[in-house]
Amino acid sequence: MTVESNQLHDALHVPRGKDGRAPDPLRVGGWMPMREYREDEAVDFVIVGTGAGGGTLACKLAEAGFSVIGMDAGAWWRPLEEFASDETHQDKLFWTDERICDGDNPLKLGSNNSGKSVGGSTVHFAMVSLRFRPEWFKCRTLLGYGADWPLDWREMWRYYGEVEQALKIAGPVTYPWGPKRPRYPYRAHEINAAGWVLAQACEAMGIAWTETPLATISAPRGRAHPCVYRGFCVTGCATNAKQSALVTWIPRAVTAGAEIRDLAMVGRIEVNDAGLATGVHYQREGQWRFQRARNVVVAGYAIETPRLLLNSATDRYPDGLANSSGLVGRNLMAQTNQGVYGVFDDEIRWYKGPPSLTLTEHWNYTDTGKDFFGGYAFMAQGPLPQAWVSTQAGNRGLWGEALLREMQQYNHQAGFKIVGETLPQERNRVTLADEKDQYGLPVARVTYSLCDNDKALVKHSIDFMSRGLDAIGARDIWAEEDDTCHLNGTARMGDDPATSVVNADCRSWDIRNLWICDGSVFPTVGGVNPSLTIQAIACRTGDRIRQLAALGEL
Amino acid sequence: MRTNDGLIAATLGALAVVAGAAAITRKSAFGSAVGRRHQPTVIAARRLNRASGLIAASTLLDSGIEHYRGAFHNRAMIAPLVVSALTLAVSAHGTRDARPVAHRLRDSVYAGAALTGLIGTGFHLYNIGKRPGRFSWKNYSWQNLFYASPILAPSAVALAGLLGYYSERLRESRSTGAPRVFGLPAGRALAALTAAGLVATAGEAGLLHFRGAYHDPFMYVPVTVPPIAAALLAETAASRPRKPRRLARWWLRLTTLIGFVGAGFHIFGVHREMGGWRNWRQNVLNGPPIPAPSSFSGLALAGLAALGLIEEHPHA
Ligand SMILES: Cc1cc2nc3c(=O)[nH]c(=O)nc-3n(C[C@H](O)[C@H](O)[C@H](O)COP(=O)(O)OP(=O)(O)OC[C@H]3O[C@@H](n4cnc5c(N)ncnc54)[C@H](O)[C@@H]3O)c2cc1C
Ligand code: SF4
Repeated sequence: MTVESNQLHDALHVPRGKDGRAPDPLRVGGWMPMREYREDEAVDFVIVGTGAGGGTLACKLAEAGFSVIGMDAGAWWRPLEEFASDETHQDKLFWTDERICDGDNPLKLGSNNSGKSVGGSTVHFAMVSLRFRPEWFKCRTLLGYGADWPLDWREMWRYYGEVEQALKIAGPVTYPWGPKRPRYPYRAHEINAAGWVLAQACEAMGIAWTETPLATISAPRGRAHPCVYRGFCVTGCATNAKQSALVTWIPRAVTAGAEIRDLAMVGRIEVNDAGLATGVHYQREGQWRFQRARNVVVAGYAIETPRLLLNSATDRYPDGLANSSGLVGRNLMAQTNQGVYGVFDDEIRWYKGPPSLTLTEHWNYTDTGKDFFGGYAFMAQGPLPQAWVSTQAGNRGLWGEALLREMQQYNHQAGFKIVGETLPQERNRVTLADEKDQYGLPVARVTYSLCDNDKALVKHSIDFMSRGLDAIGARDIWAEEDDTCHLNGTARMGDDPATSVVNADCRSWDIRNLWICDGSVFPTVGGVNPSLTIQAIACRTGDRIRQLAALGEL
Repeated sequence: MRTNDGLIAATLGALAVVAGAAAITRKSAFGSAVGRRHQPTVIAARRLNRASGLIAASTLLDSGIEHYRGAFHNRAMIAPLVVSALTLAVSAHGTRDARPVAHRLRDSVYAGAALTGLIGTGFHLYNIGKRPGRFSWKNYSWQNLFYASPILAPSAVALAGLLGYYSERLRESRSTGAPRVFGLPAGRALAALTAAGLVATAGEAGLLHFRGAYHDPFMYVPVTVPPIAAALLAETAASRPRKPRRLARWWLRLTTLIGFVGAGFHIFGVHREMGGWRNWRQNVLNGPPIPAPSSFSGLALAGLAALGLIEEHPHA
């Protein structure tokens, strides 16, 4: 490894949120002052994880005047200086700690589903920022499947608006589906050739399409530069155009007085004899330490959240914390992510720009013509060469001459991928394995199987997208039939302590000062990418905690 | 064209344009008018040459940058450069020419520019028509308005040509009373034309600033100040002859100023792109168009020429 690349990995070895200052990701070499709290003095909130859920909540709580510490196992990156235009190098953003996957359809964990950084997975996410279809919040009652949410869509509509403003989402002037929504703060980006392929296919199939609302800016914003359309989004954006938690919520949180501790892996939540959480044990700079807190929030993503709760079991809570329902770790939902691709005579160069500049939510909002419950969106694609070669060699199984030939068509390829709803099933779950990770903690075992409904949805989508590609003259149409993306569930919210882990305020039923605020709380996933909903829930939770504190109910 | 050569050519071109623009805006060009008493029509005509030249300079730079960005993939994309360069040259000539007669070469260059602008608009419309989404008023037509060939840009060339052509007609207007052009009272017709030009240009700025989500409050200036100038001009054109129009004059001067200040803002805007001015080769192309706002200045100058005519000749 060269000296330079060592420097690019610095953040993985030396914590940066220390000594009263924090990196300012928006300025080369910049720092900003950061408040620090003592370990032996209880802060109002310790938040485990600083991604879409934790980062947002840290900001909201700090701005409401609470003392807040956010802890993240990952590094505090400086995108302007440390993000290389190199797919392999950027693996440094992924959560690649050991996990065991089994079930009928074992998940492939890593780049496509979890991040380990201050800012969480939003540092390398694809920025697609969609609202839920309103009916999904009551899908058991209204659509006959899954579980109802304890949230009202109209309230969520307001919080979606708050997040869209906070991230200056660049979206279409009018959105073709669902109830009226306010205008997106920034205008949609220019559609690339891959995006026009989707548009044409949709028009050929007679369904609506639109520009994708994206969390990357189409005009300057403060010190963040507008998107330069180089397409390195899912390996981390070096211009700060991407409105990740790292460059939005986290700097806001620090400015409002939150402390963020990077390279701080929480191994255990401490609970006292009264059954209340008292703080967290965490490892930083090779040492186990303890931070006292009046409230603990877990926001580690749908695998790490249940793992931490299970790893924190005590005599009083032998099945793990907040688990009287037995549902911690259950109902894991990995959205399906099948793709269909074809070759065109025209040059496409699909790597240019954010990967999904256009999409259709037709099958999210249409309930007829389906032989399954739930919905899916599908969107234009733009895999970088290495990702594409691993798709071809891996999922498609090409090698040698055939692989070479396929890769030579790279610039003429285009295609679509779904974000497909999967149903909550109790057998899909996160449990603890016997193996230990580098911190000495039992690793997660992730068991996953698709049900017939999930398979029917996938089949419908592949068929529909293939016909779309065929209708516009694509050649060599090929379907990637096995892929999953976002993970949710594992600590669902609800109205009944017997059938849910937390209530609508993300507060655990069992331990009143233990909260869960990330994608784990989803009772169902819908057919859209989850981050906007996770952030909207975090904004709501922040407001609710402020109200509860005012009422003396914390 | 190799990138380097292209950039060198562009830089030289830009310098030439700046020199040309400086020449036509120099006060001394009007020095001869101070001593001798000139016909108001000739003074107004020379002001119009100046206005036309300024708009031509702006379009020369703008189309130069934009068509360079489009790699001149169609030969015809060179046309606006040639035509606006010629327009700029004859305008410089016109501002120094105090004779009350039209000039054959100027006349034909101006007419050619007007024609080229019209054809260019056709080209841009044709280009948009080729894209999916066409002119349907469904949401995605915004894509075309924002990112396809700008519909209104070529009409700036047409406007430069039209104003120049008008100035030639003005010079040769021989009426003893109020000057008339194309059978219309010269000042009022010019005021109306300029008002329309200002509204159209403000419309384009409004569209593109909407694309930029008005992320900076100053982006509202070009959609407020010039339309008010246009309204004042329109009112002047429509009303009966009256006292000096002080408000309109000052407002047009303000509009002239914001055209130049706008260019300054756009220079700042380029700095906000990734890499800022260090990466000028890309960012001058991707950032806000630096020359574009000065079209407002050119139009406002034409508006001032119209006011001058009307104030000299209440019936003009
Ligand atoms: C490649 C990719 C593309 C994506 N594209 C999109 C998209 O286009 N649109 C969309 O809406 N969503 C997208 N997602 C999903 C989205 O990023 C996640 O759903 C979202 O970030 C999850 O939020 P979270 O708060 O649950 O977890 P995260 O954002 O993952 O944050 C969890 C954080 O907690 C930390 N952590 C976990 N356990 C511990 C512990 N024990 N101690 C300390 N820290 C801990 C982790 O290091 C991590 O930083 C994408 C994800 C990936 C990976
Ligand atoms: S394409 Fe835009 S959002 Fe994606 S990495 Fe580049 S600048 Fe960032």
